[in-house]
Amino acid sequence: MKRLLYLTLVFGLVPIQTTVLSHVSVGGIRPDLCLVAAILVGFFTGVREGFLLGLAMGFVQDLFSAGVLWLNLVTKGSVGFLGGVAGRYVANATTLTALAGILGLSLMSGTVFLLTVGPAGFRDASFAVRAVLLPQAMWDAALGAGLYWLLAKRVRRQRAILEGPTGLGSLIR
Amino acid sequence: MFRSTSGTRRVTLVLVALLLSALLVLPTQSQRLLQHIGVPLAPIVTLPIEALAALDRSLRDMWEGYVALHEVHEENLRLRREIELLQHQNGRLQEAASASQRLTALLEFKGRARSQTVAAQVIGRETTNWYRAVVVNKGDVDGVRVEMGVITPAGVVGRVVKTTRSASMVLLVTDPNNAITGLIQRTRDEGIVEGTAQGLARVKYLPLLSTVRAGDRVVTSGLTGGFPRGLPIGVITSIDKMEGDLFQSGDIVPDADLTRLEEVVIITAPREEADSDAASLQTQPPQQRKP
Repeated sequence: MKRLLYLTLVFGLVPIQTTVLSHVSVGGIRPDLCLVAAILVGFFTGVREGFLLGLAMGFVQDLFSAGVLWLNLVTKGSVGFLGGVAGRYVANATTLTALAGILGLSLMSGTVFLLTVGPAGFRDASFAVRAVLLPQAMWDAALGAGLYWLLAKRVRRQRAILEGPTGLGSLIR
Repeated sequence: MFRSTSGTRRVTLVLVALLLSALLVLPTQSQRLLQHIGVPLAPIVTLPIEALAALDRSLRDMWEGYVALHEVHEENLRLRREIELLQHQNGRLQEAASASQRLTALLEFKGRARSQTVAAQVIGRETTNWYRAVVVNKGDVDGVRVEMGVITPAGVVGRVVKTTRSASMVLLVTDPNNAITGLIQRTRDEGIVEGTAQGLARVKYLPLLSTVRAGDRVVTSGLTGGFPRGLPIGVITSIDKMEGDLFQSGDIVPDADLTRLEEVVIITAPREEADSDAASLQTQPPQQRKP
């Protein structure tokens, strides 16, 4: 099941990103589904899965991007890894902390893009920050926080079933 | 999914670390390697992209065609196509008239029509927000190669920057990473047309003594890239002529509507190449020619 989910994420998110996602763009800016997915997978399942899934999704994304073939690979792998680190060390994470974390990671990833794309001069760079970097980070954070809220609720419910006094956990034990 | 022994884990991490180091140390070679790895993967993603694009298009057509103002929309589309056709015809006629004064342009104009082309459908947009590019449904197997020019009847769209087996990425003329040699149709001054961060285009390095002005048309010069001479790029809206500068530059509004691209034409062999192909055929001894 997990394998199927990961394959769906790797080969399914990029087609959505390139086609139907343009309908939800605000000012021409769309959220980066692969970035959000890499962070959340890392956060909920661990460093290694976040990192490897980020690399795979980033690579597929690079195949359908006009940029160089390593940019998404490296950035998505990194944010998946950092998502995993956050999942390991952040205790009592809330939707708000997820929002702040995804905002930070999206800004970091966007900065790598900004430095690689290399805007001509300060005027273009400041325009890129205002028109692309910040709006996309906000989009990613909002979408990521929403998904985190849904996933965390589900995870909590599963834990309650397994670990509760009359739950499945006690029956198994 | 990633359950493995600590030995294979270590090997995987070492391989990944080596790959990432190679990306930074040997960018060109690693690009080639990654492109090689991507060859079998790309068609797996192209299929759902085409399916989603078709679904998206049919849903949009249904909504726009039947629910929202059926007749007005039809008429609007027809008029839009007519405007594009007329703009294209206008550009061609102006170009032909201007060139005929120098007694050579008519032949060039005929030659332009001889460019070999492949029609393609736009199936998606760039996956990130950092480039202005589109995905088209023609790739290596259709003869599409990097640096080929892409146009619509209205004008220049951009150039191919990446290809997979069955799809290609087209960097739009409005992307700051794109550069095409352009020609001011009236004054015959040459410049470089680049995209701007704001999503328009700009013609740069025009001679300081040029009499270029707002309203002048810019066409491809045919000197570099995959475009023949004389294809419309856009219209100059303003000129920047700063004191002390060696060149002047101007903002351009592209002729092709790059926000509503659906079908495009990829120039697989511009006129010059078509001519050289014909010339090489003519130089072959008669007995070697195919009947």
